[in-house]
Amino acid sequence: MKPLRPSHPYLFLAPTLLVLGIFFIYPLLLALYRSFFAWDLLTEPVYVGGGHYEALWRSGELVETLGRTLGYSLVVVVWASALGLGFAVGLNREGAVYAFVRGAVFSAYIVSWVAVGLLWLWILDGDAGILAVGLKKLGLPTTAWLSNPDTALMTLAAVTVWKITGYAMVIFLAGLQDVPKSVLEAAALDGAGPWRRFWYVTWPLLRPTAAFVATTSLILSFQAFDIVRVMTQGGPVKATTIFVYAIYESVFMNLRVGRASALTVVFFALLLGLTALQLWAWRLGQREGTT
Amino acid sequence: MNRLSRRHLMVGLASASCGSRSLSPGEMSLWFTYGGRNRKVLLELVDQFHARQSKVKVHPTFQGDYFEGLVKLRTGLFVGSTPTVTHIIGEVVPYLAEAGVLSPLDELEAEVKADVDPALGQSGSFVGGDERPLYALPFNRSTPVAYFNRGLFSDAGLKPPTTWAEMRSVAKALTLRSGDRTERWGFECPIAWWFWVAMLGQAGGQVIEPDGRVSLGDEAGVEALHHWQTMIHADRSMKPPPGRDFNAWEATNSDFLAGRVAMIWTSTAFLSYLTDNASFDLGVAPLPKEKRFSVPTGGTFFVMPAGVTGAEREAGLAFLRFMISPEAANTWATNTGYMPISLAGRAKLRAEGFFDDHPNFAVTLDQLKYAQAWPWAPELFRVQREAVQPRLEQAVLEQKDGAAMLGEAKASLRAAGIATGAL
Repeated sequence: MKPLRPSHPYLFLAPTLLVLGIFFIYPLLLALYRSFFAWDLLTEPVYVGGGHYEALWRSGELVETLGRTLGYSLVVVVWASALGLGFAVGLNREGAVYAFVRGAVFSAYIVSWVAVGLLWLWILDGDAGILAVGLKKLGLPTTAWLSNPDTALMTLAAVTVWKITGYAMVIFLAGLQDVPKSVLEAAALDGAGPWRRFWYVTWPLLRPTAAFVATTSLILSFQAFDIVRVMTQGGPVKATTIFVYAIYESVFMNLRVGRASALTVVFFALLLGLTALQLWAWRLGQREGTT
Repeated sequence: MNRLSRRHLMVGLASASCGSRSLSPGEMSLWFTYGGRNRKVLLELVDQFHARQSKVKVHPTFQGDYFEGLVKLRTGLFVGSTPTVTHIIGEVVPYLAEAGVLSPLDELEAEVKADVDPALGQSGSFVGGDERPLYALPFNRSTPVAYFNRGLFSDAGLKPPTTWAEMRSVAKALTLRSGDRTERWGFECPIAWWFWVAMLGQAGGQVIEPDGRVSLGDEAGVEALHHWQTMIHADRSMKPPPGRDFNAWEATNSDFLAGRVAMIWTSTAFLSYLTDNASFDLGVAPLPKEKRFSVPTGGTFFVMPAGVTGAEREAGLAFLRFMISPEAANTWATNTGYMPISLAGRAKLRAEGFFDDHPNFAVTLDQLKYAQAWPWAPELFRVQREAVQPRLEQAVLEQKDGAAMLGEAKASLRAAGIATGAL
């Protein structure tokens, strides 16, 4: 289709570009600019060049924060996707009981992060929490899950998995609806058992859905903030200081706008890289799916 | 768009949306950071102020906890939309004063000199001398104290500890274990800078030396850390609360109220709250000594941002004058647990027999003679938040060597251009 005037496509794009420009590109460029200055919001900014990047790298803070964030994300993506798929396959049946269980699993997803954080703070209390009391009654070892630097991050990851598994399940259920019954019946007639039907028919057809679930839960886990703010405030020590919380702490607690900006720039580059990787994997999966 | 014009744009946007400078003559804004009971007491005081005079109208606005309030103040200062009066923690006063964003309160200097307890005010706090204008008026000032469960103590035939050695033995005696599990802890206190400074003082040190060198107490700082480490890991009589900042403080209070711990250290600010909510006989004791008795002070000071002028400034000063008056200071203190800052007010309470009826309150005041003024230096805030606090947790929770951790803290300060002297 040929536009009436050459400017028309740009006019149609303008509203989106304007919003993206103001709320995305401009802040990003500003963060990049600020990352070259030491600034506390009050006194005049001082130019430090790449000083913040160098300090973040040399102090090990960047690598440590990155390690924690990736560890948390990996656990969240793998477990939420696997459990979501398991629930979807198990609950993809007619009947009121199944509908109720589906609803129950999904309900965690619609509760706010703050409420989820507070709820689990009670459950996970090392002395009086339901979990600790239950484990003690069973004679099993327990710990102060959130005050132990060795367990705090994985505990947060587990809470996140609990919350978003319902979301993964719903998307997988939608994917399962698209698997033609006739193909499954044909496979059954050919003598394929339930496992082989899943592995050779359902799973290949679900792969684009799986890629979507993995991408969205990866983004979600990278953006995790509320749960850290409510449950651990980045501690104990720095065990749960993941990327977004580290940025928040730098700017709002420690008044280091420059360092927070440098962290933001690195975080953006990281997300860009990961998204590119995901897209590549997705396209690869789609191409394989069509051949 | 250059920095200046962008700033002007933000100022314009901010003042269009919430601008405090749009107040009518006789009006003033007050940003405060109390929730719960303390918020109610403050609003009652504002009502009393309104009832007493009709020239000044106060618009109080809640701004979250201390740190959230600080963030909003900083953002407000940047865009030029600040309140007439707010209150901030002592540690950031020197930082903001140095940045030139606080307005000196010269008009109130005479009242402060005549009646405000020097142990709670700005006097003697700035490192390198007191020749500064009056920037900060004490308001809700506190010290750490020990709260103990009287029933548990008397059942065990124990008295509140007065030395570190006693503290260890008392905490051990009150810890109740069944097998490997701890049913009740002897002692709990947030792994926070404030309590570490208290112990550092008790061990004979100070965070910043009179010459401005940030020593972190040298040996005393290490001893303070070691005391915590021993009680947590060797004696297993102290519970480090989960969470950080106010979450850890809240966890400490709830463990104590639920009877899961026999003694805690927390702020005098919780005196009324704990008295109201304890189902047991609540005792209050001064902190113990190692080499000497010592406590830091805490809480906040009223400040007026730079740029508050004319009628708005007059309104702000009138309100502040009311708030430091003996009557208002007493209302505030007796309803919350904070220290009464007015000496005349305190004498009146004594004459009325208030301290005889409230012996727990008297303990907090008696301890004031051991209060150490803050070493106010612009870098104090950074020393606290970035250099020390994370390393306290590392030393205590991960059992890292205290001397090495404080050495690291000093190294990070030197890297930021702050003088610390030898390791």
